[in-house]
Amino acid sequence: MAELSTSRLWLMRAAFPGLALLIMFFQLLPLDTVPRRWAAPDLLIALAFAWSLRRPDYVPIISLALVMLMADLMLQRPPGLLAMLLVLGCEYLKTQTAGLREASFAGEWAAVSMVLVGITVLNRLILLIVAVQPAPLGLSLIQMVLTIAIYPAVVFVSQSLMGVRKPAPGDAGALNTRTRART
Amino acid sequence: MAKDRSQREDFTPPLRRLLIAVIALCLLGIFLVWRIDSPRVERFRTQVTDRVVPGMGWAMTPVTGMINLLRDFQSYQRLSEQNRELRSELRQMQAWKEAALQLEQENARLLDLNNVRLDPRLTFVTGVVMADSGSPFRQSVLLNVGARDGIMDGWAAMDGIGLVGRISGTGKNTARVILLTDAASAVPSLIQPSGQTALVSGDNTAAPLIDFLENPDLVRAGDRVVSSGDGGVFPAGLLIGQIATDPAGRLRVRLSADYERLEFLRVLRHHGVDSVTDPGTIVTPLNAQIPPAATQSPSGEGAGDG
Repeated sequence: MAELSTSRLWLMRAAFPGLALLIMFFQLLPLDTVPRRWAAPDLLIALAFAWSLRRPDYVPIISLALVMLMADLMLQRPPGLLAMLLVLGCEYLKTQTAGLREASFAGEWAAVSMVLVGITVLNRLILLIVAVQPAPLGLSLIQMVLTIAIYPAVVFVSQSLMGVRKPAPGDAGALNTRTRART
Repeated sequence: MAKDRSQREDFTPPLRRLLIAVIALCLLGIFLVWRIDSPRVERFRTQVTDRVVPGMGWAMTPVTGMINLLRDFQSYQRLSEQNRELRSELRQMQAWKEAALQLEQENARLLDLNNVRLDPRLTFVTGVVMADSGSPFRQSVLLNVGARDGIMDGWAAMDGIGLVGRISGTGKNTARVILLTDAASAVPSLIQPSGQTALVSGDNTAAPLIDFLENPDLVRAGDRVVSSGDGGVFPAGLLIGQIATDPAGRLRVRLSADYERLEFLRVLRHHGVDSVTDPGTIVTPLNAQIPPAATQSPSGEGAGDG
């Protein structure tokens, strides 16, 4: 049993970068070369949040940082900035898992939205401070709102298809000690 | 085992916080280095893209093809309607074809008469579009030709008809083209027939803005916009598009290149424009050491005498 869960742990740890690459792959497909008036939601961020809140051990900070840095490089963003904000946001959410475990999904959604708004604002602010021209405000707002809107869908897919769900109180011996240690 | 683990976990919080801080600082450091020494980091980015994206190519091409096929399939539903439209368009095109043929013959005759030599160095390399920027905030595409094929930064990329963008960032096997619609793109251009110069600067919409125009009154919707070659940025005379006014009254360029389907792009080899540097040996004697301000009047008089 222990061996099985360890192999599953590593499988899921490998699955996160894999999924991230898949998302980047679909974003890179040269389908739309005309500028659009709207921006698609950032699935990668939603995925990172959903997994951090459900199974923090599936997305260790190293893998999170590397994946996000890769995304920054591939998607022509200022490298490192969004990755840093996202790592900090995810780690903050991970510390909140204990409190949010009892709360309903609405509470979790609100927390995620707050973090996302914070990340967007900080990203813009830092870009303005170092005098880099940030992305158009309307587009970033649309992307932020759509990412918040699609978050429940991402949660549903990761729970039902990939089995990334919060450990039930019964089978969570190791995890309970872990969350206690963290708080 | 469980005990062992819980003991280990007890020590993690300070370590964990340290780890978070170290990683966050590393990422911040990368960002600051990018801000300070952008070219070096951008070169690194190009190398990463150069390594990763061609590896995805085997999957990218079929998936893109499939999705485009599905999109086309939707248009099959109104096949008969399209057929009718196409037939009427074809009739118009035949009239245009006649006109074009006549003009081509006339053009060839005139060129022959004038003994005009077209720039022989304006040859091109054709590349396939592999990927786009992947983000709604940046407008660029990745071509499958790179430094290996002699591509250099700053060259112009066209589709069959009009200018598409500028090479910015060449890896060994790939090159990135910043499209004219990108917010970072600005191309010195010439508006015909009034001959006004302006900058075509992208703003993340489908039609770039016309900037730094001296006299907007002379410019009308429908005027042709071509590259002016100022600053040695592009060869002169590449077609960019036509002037159009947006509802706010600003002048924009409706691009001639078909941005809906960028599949193959031509990258024009361009080795800069030779500039005239010496004052000319006939007008002023070679050995005369005249200060630059004084050269103007004698040469002007000389021209007047001649």
